[in-house]
Amino acid sequence: MPPDPPDPPLPLDGIRVCDFSWIVAGPQATRILADLGADVVKVENESYLDSMRLGLQQDMDQPSLNRSGFHSNFSRNKRSITANLHHPKGREAVERLLAVSDVVIENYSAGAFARMGFPWERLQEINPSLIYVSVSGFGHVGRDASYGTWGPSAQAISGATAMSGLPDQPPAGWGFSYLDHTAGYYAAIAVLMALHHRARTGEAQHVDMSQIESGMVVGAVPMLDYQINGRTYERIGNRSRHPATAPHNTYPCAGDDRWIAIAVDDDTQWAALCDVLGLDALRAAPRFADMAARKAHEDALDQAIAAVTRERDPFDLMLQLQERGVPAGVCQRNDDKQERDPQLADRGFYPTAPHAELGEHRFEGIPMQFSHARWRMDRGAPLLGEHNHAVLTELLGYDEDELATMLAELAI
Amino acid sequence: MPPSNPAPEPDRATPSDELPGPLETLRVLEIGDRGEVAGKLLADAGADVIRIEPPGGGRSRHVGPFVNDDPGQPSLLHATRNTSKRAVTLDVTQPAGLELWQRLIGRVDVVIDATPPTFLDGLGGGWQWAAAQPDLHACVWCSITPFGRSGPRRDWAANDLVQLALGGPMMSNGYDDHHLPPIRPDGEHSIAISNEYAVAGLLAALWMRNAGHRGQLVDVSIHEAVSATTEGAFPNWEYLGRLVQRQTGRHASPDPSAPWQYLAADDQYICLISGGLPRGAPAWSGLLDWMDEHDAAGDLHDPQWQELLHRDPRAHPEARLHVAETIGAFAQRLPADEVYRRSQSLHFAWGIVRRPEENLDDPHWADRGFFWEGECPGVDHPVRYPGAPYRFTRSPIRLRRRPPLLGEHNHEVYVGELGLSSAELRAHLETGVV
Repeated sequence: MPPDPPDPPLPLDGIRVCDFSWIVAGPQATRILADLGADVVKVENESYLDSMRLGLQQDMDQPSLNRSGFHSNFSRNKRSITANLHHPKGREAVERLLAVSDVVIENYSAGAFARMGFPWERLQEINPSLIYVSVSGFGHVGRDASYGTWGPSAQAISGATAMSGLPDQPPAGWGFSYLDHTAGYYAAIAVLMALHHRARTGEAQHVDMSQIESGMVVGAVPMLDYQINGRTYERIGNRSRHPATAPHNTYPCAGDDRWIAIAVDDDTQWAALCDVLGLDALRAAPRFADMAARKAHEDALDQAIAAVTRERDPFDLMLQLQERGVPAGVCQRNDDKQERDPQLADRGFYPTAPHAELGEHRFEGIPMQFSHARWRMDRGAPLLGEHNHAVLTELLGYDEDELATMLAELAI
Repeated sequence: MPPSNPAPEPDRATPSDELPGPLETLRVLEIGDRGEVAGKLLADAGADVIRIEPPGGGRSRHVGPFVNDDPGQPSLLHATRNTSKRAVTLDVTQPAGLELWQRLIGRVDVVIDATPPTFLDGLGGGWQWAAAQPDLHACVWCSITPFGRSGPRRDWAANDLVQLALGGPMMSNGYDDHHLPPIRPDGEHSIAISNEYAVAGLLAALWMRNAGHRGQLVDVSIHEAVSATTEGAFPNWEYLGRLVQRQTGRHASPDPSAPWQYLAADDQYICLISGGLPRGAPAWSGLLDWMDEHDAAGDLHDPQWQELLHRDPRAHPEARLHVAETIGAFAQRLPADEVYRRSQSLHFAWGIVRRPEENLDDPHWADRGFFWEGECPGVDHPVRYPGAPYRFTRSPIRLRRRPPLLGEHNHEVYVGELGLSSAELRAHLETGVV
């Protein structure tokens, strides 16, 4: 047999990231970098643990720092070392790692990393070409920099919570830490932009990210609407204010808590929708004759549609509508996405990879494919300190005796 | 009520506007309607981004709100997504338009192609064409489509609502009452999410190219980008076989959790993350002192609550609920801003539920230079645009140009840079090629 062709390259092969991040926002950023090939070395210790290691345990009765599926999904493809910053030799190991890294990233509260001994001035002394990306709720600069956030409070302050929900109900907000994801996406972008800048100019820099700002950017239109048209924001549920199209909503389907989203963009799609739902009377009604009329009678329109979707299987209905070119999608649960979504399956979006204690599992992929490169899913998250030996000897130049001493002295 | 924090000392690291952005020298073409945010992120960072629109204008110019609510005036959706770009018109479906498009590609490093999956290849001016041109070897071609460029649902119809339904976020967002539907947050988040991933992907491909590899296709799927953005829903199913259930204003969970969103005394909502429960003795004492000022601590001084919550939080849901409800009842008696600032001064990461425009008046963002004051077409006063969520200290991200008018840079690009004569451009304008 001919030999397997060599794997295509990883885009960020050769980039090293010293990763002090924890929970979700920081690990989301370094997850992207690691999937794209960067050598991401997580640095932890009992006093500054990535506490997500304790989240969502595979076995709730026997919690372990090494058996969180949540953590494994966010820290796959990374390496882990432990280093005791209160011990001079542990601190020295971290400084050696910083000296051979391109990037250091953390998402502690503003000021915490400096208090751990790594203010920007010190980082520059250790490695003048080191890029420093900090992610915090309010950023490191500004009068409220000492305030803290978790995803939901950042969402509340940013405006993202207020922009989600039905007009006659409280804000629904987001049922997860959306801004932990997007702060991570923007932090990954920031790392890459700073790398490009450094490659062109030789200049490293500190990038100060704010999680709340990553939510405010999505409220840009209401912010301009307020300044220009004097309008204050009001929730719209699942309808569309701009453009003013209808029907555009979620409708109940047969089954327990099943829903389909339908978004009609023009009269052709409206006719197809009426056909598929068997609503000839609706199609003939003058009050639903064109987009403006449908929009003006949207409550009645949505009720009429919901009355028939209730009896329909959501997936069958979706297939029939898509066949006629009507934008429609089931509100999918994770079992739908992972077990029954032919598109995600065909594109290999849920690759499997091993983990030392959790075994083989699927992971969420990176939402892109490269024609002449690849992203990787080599393994789940590292066990705590799994790569102490490899990183300290091969990368940082310690010999076996030094390593043994450091272990004995609890420096690592 | 604690006063607002004082203004900080002027920050010595405040970047000068004179400095170049991190992507200065990068040249980008952007075409189609689902990639405007990606183009904006590059343009604000200093790249020269030319947005290509059909002669009648791209989708965002026709979507409101409009200046003065007049559909004849510029669109605010367009304004927010097109800062710092240049704009030209071009009908690539005409042979002469296609030729101009192909010539433009030869001048750039990156193409952001947010047209439907087979549209440009069908015309002979897509990635397949570019990949076969030796002189375009270095071009990075970033495609952004609803479902990616392959697979059985490649050509399905979708808009933002449909993408957030299929990708999963909606089943986590909504209300305790499941007679109410799953909720799609407003703001076209599927565009934002996919475009953020697209920028990361194209910058990574560019990094490779600059290291000596060839340029390449980066095929971004909006469906996958949204599917990757649901936090706990994935591991709950993958590792425990559990589905998360949506809850009002808080994390979806397989098991119901205590409420944490309340209406404060001044009719503004507040977010008492994780039920507002204190962690550790200092947090307890600070909170109890505050509650005592309002005679609202109830029975929380009884040390049993602190012990029960400390020992094993999961084991005592009824204790958690009682403490959370007592704290929630207290917080509802105060104005929202007082709850927000006092709790933050006690190191509780509680929030206030603001409408987006309410942040315009918070001086913290001015301290950071977050808002960019500039011109908006059709408006006779300066406006403040939300800036970037990252603050580069040596290569500032900033508003480089106001959003372009339709075809504003036609002459500059076609005549000044591509070398057409003015007469040729006029002819193209007359035939609707430009």
